[in-house]
Amino acid sequence: MRPRSIVIAGVGGQGLLTMGSLLGEALLRQGYKVSVGEVHGLSQRGGSVVVFVRYAEYQPSPVVAPGEGDLLVGLELIEAARRLPLLSRSGLAVVNDFLLPPPAAQRVPSREELVASIGKAVRSVFIEALPLAEKAGSPVAVNMVMLGALAACRSVDVSLESLKSVVSARFRGAVGAINLRALELGYEEALKKLGEEAQG
Amino acid sequence: MAGGSISGEAGTRRLLLGNEAIARGAVEAGISAATAYPGTPSTEIVEALAEVAEEYGFYVEWSTNEKVALEVAIGVSMMGLRALTAMKHVGLNVASDPLMSLGYTGVVGGLVIVTADDPNAHSSQNEQDNRIYGMHAYIPVFEPSGVQEAKDMARELFDLSEKYSTAVLLRTTTRLSHSRGEVVFGEVSRPSREARFHRDPERWALLPPYNLRKHRETLERIERLRGDLSSWRFNWFAEGDGDTLVVSAGAAHMYVAEALETLGVKPPLLKVSSVYPFPRGLAEKALEFERIVVVEELEPVVEHQLRVAASEAGKTPKIFGKELFPRVGELNAQLVASGLARALGVKYEPPQGPPAGVELPPRPPTLCPGCGHRAAYYAVKLAAMRARSNPVWANDIGCYTLGFYPPFRMADFTWSMGSALGIGMGISRFSKEPVVAFIGDSTFFHAGVPGLINAVYNRYPIVVVVMDNEVTAMTGHQPHPGSGFGPLGEPRPRVSIEGLAKACGVEFVEVVPAYDVWRARDATERAIRYVREKGLPAVVVARQRCALVELREKRRRGEKVTVYRVVEEKCIGCGVCVDRFACPAIVREGRVVKILPELCAGCGVCATICPAKAIVPAGESA
Ligand SMILES: Cc1ncc(C[n+]2csc(CCOP(=O)(O)OP(=O)(O)O)c2C)c(N)n1
Repeated sequence: MRPRSIVIAGVGGQGLLTMGSLLGEALLRQGYKVSVGEVHGLSQRGGSVVVFVRYAEYQPSPVVAPGEGDLLVGLELIEAARRLPLLSRSGLAVVNDFLLPPPAAQRVPSREELVASIGKAVRSVFIEALPLAEKAGSPVAVNMVMLGALAACRSVDVSLESLKSVVSARFRGAVGAINLRALELGYEEALKKLGEEAQG
Repeated sequence: MAGGSISGEAGTRRLLLGNEAIARGAVEAGISAATAYPGTPSTEIVEALAEVAEEYGFYVEWSTNEKVALEVAIGVSMMGLRALTAMKHVGLNVASDPLMSLGYTGVVGGLVIVTADDPNAHSSQNEQDNRIYGMHAYIPVFEPSGVQEAKDMARELFDLSEKYSTAVLLRTTTRLSHSRGEVVFGEVSRPSREARFHRDPERWALLPPYNLRKHRETLERIERLRGDLSSWRFNWFAEGDGDTLVVSAGAAHMYVAEALETLGVKPPLLKVSSVYPFPRGLAEKALEFERIVVVEELEPVVEHQLRVAASEAGKTPKIFGKELFPRVGELNAQLVASGLARALGVKYEPPQGPPAGVELPPRPPTLCPGCGHRAAYYAVKLAAMRARSNPVWANDIGCYTLGFYPPFRMADFTWSMGSALGIGMGISRFSKEPVVAFIGDSTFFHAGVPGLINAVYNRYPIVVVVMDNEVTAMTGHQPHPGSGFGPLGEPRPRVSIEGLAKACGVEFVEVVPAYDVWRARDATERAIRYVREKGLPAVVVARQRCALVELREKRRRGEKVTVYRVVEEKCIGCGVCVDRFACPAIVREGRVVKILPELCAGCGVCATICPAKAIVPAGESA
């Protein structure tokens, strides 16, 4: 088995590191060898951030090189587009339909342009994560919605069950309940979208 | 996780960062002390140790700078106890003076110096390769090739350090420090030894003629290690097909292992983790081959040692290294596969990803909403205008370095910790325009004070603005001597920045709240005029606790943040708040602007500077 690669792209502060380590633990529970490549330091201050999660039957290296990614999870449209070259041409992009222009940026592509160019480059599904997170109980749970969505993608082997068990081990009480709900909502939404995509 | 990420019984399995793994190894080795000055990518080592310091009973400190951190660790070792100190690669430059002497003296208690290098300069001013420091200082260098190995090696290096009476360098890199992998915990040992000062002036006082004798002994020690390390368990040789040997050094082994799987080849492989001195027995083994490919990140450290060994043995193998693998930037499995494919004569086409398809705006990191640095920059810029000056903006390292970016553009240079003052002085001696030097609070304690003393003593006309947010923010809010608390959050004395400045002999010292832009502006304007007239240094301390820390504490206390809003009818669309102040919580919406409540930190500075008085606390009418 060649190593499988998940790329998580977004803006510093969106909870990408949490997603990476939860995914890593879930894959460990499923019996794989796992590497999670994180970014610490200054770029966490609202900069462009990318986290790599890789797994295989042997210990994979922590870096995803261009063209290698099986799945791109984008928490923001510009950042998802920025990391497209890391994805394999047969890879899948699951993207939060949310545009956050960098402060003081001169030219910013529109939401429609970004959706179109991501859609043209690779197979992709777009998810409106914020309303789902709010429905689960907190706008902060966008990262959990996207994590749930990822579990619905067959191009990688993350199961919703293992994600739920690591999330409930990590978060207790009300926060835990919100996060579990967000995971489920994201999962269901992605299943629906992937179904529509397969038909359409 | 109760007790922190590295607390647990032997046999516990956990997904740890490379840095946490190193910390766990130190705990298992029974350290008595850990010291550090923070710096990416090294910071999480001592952060993880601080979390379990009480549980396992050792001492942890955030030191003023890396030189002090290393010196404290040396003192602990002279008491016969084990110590770890950790720093980023450029931190070792600051600690290099005691390091060079440490090579001569050696140690009593095991002493591990972790150097976290940053190939690709993800968060640093350069990508220096600190393995070379080991050669320079006669201190052996060890480099793990995975997270589990980082834990195991860190533990064992304390034994090795004591066995050979030498400090050791444990070299990690960003990709290892900040990647997670599974780690199985081992037993925590508590060496039952008494703290005792090992008095031995002939050894510890490096005076002639003892220092020359030490130099000789040190060379002998390195030669002994060169012999003994051939059988060290983290170095190994694996038989394979063909006559080309692949040598993988340290962290590069992560990529080599994967690249060989990808290429589907199995050449003979020599994995080396003792990168200096390169073991004699392994060099002999390597030189049995006619063709040798060395894979390592950055400088050709192992490659050159092998070339020397070949030359000494009178052999002429073909050695490939840096002509196949880049010397600039970091490696990945694809780059390594490409280089290996060429050396091994197999086919390899690296995959290509789809292009982004649209032109994307860059997204550099930004000062957070509510950051006092933004208010201070805004105020200082106004002050410079009012003083009819066009200052040279000397800047330093920290979150405030982001003043480099538009709209502020207030960093004409940033160099190394404290250099805003030093280099700024050199410029100010000959500049007609004033020099305004920005320096963070943590940086001021680290390396700013000697510069300030120089400014007083040698009479420099320089305005020093201390950007005081009361913590070391950039690396994750570690405390420093001005914070008033220690690594476990416990109360500590506060060293006063303004008190220090006055004690150094600076006559013009003013402290202003950074959010009060008018006061900050006026104080800075006075400082610029004072410096011009008197030709002497002036210090302005712009103080506002880091907004992230402030928000976190408010949340903990259950306090609500009063966010601000724009009164649309009053907004004249002038753009001062978006274009000149550039708070990420403020965005344009058509003709007017809007404040995003989920980002607003409630600092209210935008309300102060709004010329139309169109910004008010949400919930209040205008
Ligand atoms: C010699 C050295 N040690 C450590 C670092 C890492 N580092 C960069 S800036 C900084 C301190 C920043 O703190 P402060 O000066 O208080 O500024 P802030 O980030 O809080 O604005 C550190 C630790 C470095 N670049 N060089």
